[in-house]
Amino acid sequence: MGNRLSYLMRRLAQIPFVLAIVTITIFSLIHVTPGDPIQIMLGMQTSPDAVDALRKQFYLDRPLPIQYFIWVKNAVRGNLGKSIRLNLPVTRMIAERLPVSLKLAASAMLFALLISIPAGIVSAIRRNTVVDYCFTGFSIGGLAIPNFALALLLIFFFSIKLDWFPITGIGSSAGKDVSLWGAIAPFILPAVALGAQQTAILQRLLRSSMIDVLSQDYIRTARAKGVPGWIILVIHALKNALIPVVTMVAIQFGYLIGITITIEFIFAIPGMGFTLLTAVVNRDFPVIQGFTLTIAIFFILANIVADVLYTLIDPRIRY
Amino acid sequence: MTEAATEVSKGHVEYKTRELRLHHRSSINLAARQFARNRAALLGLIAFTVLVAAAILAPLIIDYNPNAIKLSEKLQPPSWSHWLGTDYFGRDVFTRVLYGGRVSLSVGLIVIGFALAIGVPIGLTAGFFGGRIDNFLMRLMDAFLTFPPLLLAVAIVGMLGPDIQNVMLALGIVRIPVFARIVRGSTLSAREEVYVRAARAIGAPMRRIVTSHILRNIIAPIIVQITVNFAGAIIAEASLSFLGLGAQPPDPSWGRDLNEARRYLEDAPWLMMGPTAAIMIAVLSVNFVGDGLRDALDPRSWRTWQTKKESSGSVSESRGGN
Repeated sequence: MGNRLSYLMRRLAQIPFVLAIVTITIFSLIHVTPGDPIQIMLGMQTSPDAVDALRKQFYLDRPLPIQYFIWVKNAVRGNLGKSIRLNLPVTRMIAERLPVSLKLAASAMLFALLISIPAGIVSAIRRNTVVDYCFTGFSIGGLAIPNFALALLLIFFFSIKLDWFPITGIGSSAGKDVSLWGAIAPFILPAVALGAQQTAILQRLLRSSMIDVLSQDYIRTARAKGVPGWIILVIHALKNALIPVVTMVAIQFGYLIGITITIEFIFAIPGMGFTLLTAVVNRDFPVIQGFTLTIAIFFILANIVADVLYTLIDPRIRY
Repeated sequence: MTEAATEVSKGHVEYKTRELRLHHRSSINLAARQFARNRAALLGLIAFTVLVAAAILAPLIIDYNPNAIKLSEKLQPPSWSHWLGTDYFGRDVFTRVLYGGRVSLSVGLIVIGFALAIGVPIGLTAGFFGGRIDNFLMRLMDAFLTFPPLLLAVAIVGMLGPDIQNVMLALGIVRIPVFARIVRGSTLSAREEVYVRAARAIGAPMRRIVTSHILRNIIAPIIVQITVNFAGAIIAEASLSFLGLGAQPPDPSWGRDLNEARRYLEDAPWLMMGPTAAIMIAVLSVNFVGDGLRDALDPRSWRTWQTKKESSGSVSESRGGN
């Protein structure tokens, strides 16, 4: 236990270091490259005085290291500055957009689990049969198709042809459908498109770990003493076969938050990725900084959670 | 007498090196045979070769110009004269898919080249010297790995400006740590091998040890990583171009053309078929080749092949690994 705790502390202690490198990288990239955000914001026709005043307001007249330290000092106090473009506090924008992306990533993961766990089990039991080959084929295809191409296919078949699901509707308050279906429906296509890759990864993983577990001695013992087949499958085998899957779910969840951007773009979902894309085009520095910082924190936390879960679930592992 | 002794040992060395060379050649031979036995890998290699050839020879295969606008033939469904139909500007989709392959494949090639050129020296340095240098370099690489690669690429490309060259740079930067890590890990174990210690003991120059002793022996994991990352780079380039950050119109690009297909999804759904299929074929074929190489470059797979062939087979042979 003590070991585990000290390992966790060591991992947590690495976070500030990693965040410093990420933010310094983004910070220097922003300021090394040409294109003055104030000019972009005000246009070319403004007086130099107005430009100077705004520049002072955003500390853009100070030397770079000073700007970075001002930013860090404020960030530690929970102030990430204001969007140059929208004149909104970045923290408030994050508070609005982050839940949208999290919900999207969570529904994608839910979809992945709903499909991959039964598919993985069936593949393992009916190994090297037509069923297994079908699932394997789907998995290989799921890994090869880019999520945005899959999204287009889904929109074409399920929105345009069959008219089952709406194309847009996440995060927009206009014309809100208050029924349960109205709340769920807009998430379905984005979740499937986003989660297809994770479905494939988890299905492959569960299949191989299930095959591994099913060949263990204690399964044979259970069979020999006459335990019913489904109890062996669910209680004895699945419980242990899920160990690597749980870790992978945590890792993949962090990864999902990093790739929602294309899906948010297609379905016009006002989440982290879509906002970041707009900010990048407009060179809205405070937003880019704040959003990349937030996403990096989530990514790192997901990886740490994965490591900790690994040790908690599997008592054989010690650090 | 001493002369005779050196003569003998020289002959011995010559004999030894020839034997080594023979062994070297036969190991490549064995790997190639193992690869050819893998049907998926072989199929992948053929598909990939066809794709590359089609991209390179596009002007010879097809008469259309990928950017020639012909509004009288806009949004036509697939037909004999336009195999995959035409887009909003009356451009032939099949032609654009072939030419788009030039962009995607060369981006993949340059991205991997860039990541290799920087990642491999970093990994070799960290693994070979160890200690503080290793610690510093690897923490730096870890920091880059803890950031979602696609978003980092979006940020970098956004900063530098939407342009295919910046996409190559961004994707290359993102993939440096992947190669640095794998090379460092292999170097760490290769460094302790007897042949490296022997080379050190006879005073071989550092550069020689690194290039001809270490690098040559860790080439297998690097090659496998190249295939995996090549497929990843193709998808990443398509994503960035899809978001409008990569190839700019009117240049053909699989990702960019899918973005255009998105706008005419209702009227011209065939527009998305070509680019999607092209991306999938490219990714699948490279992955199959990668799997085949992983298997073929693993000496354990040769042994099982040999024992299978000689039906007598030695009993003590351990077969684990698959």
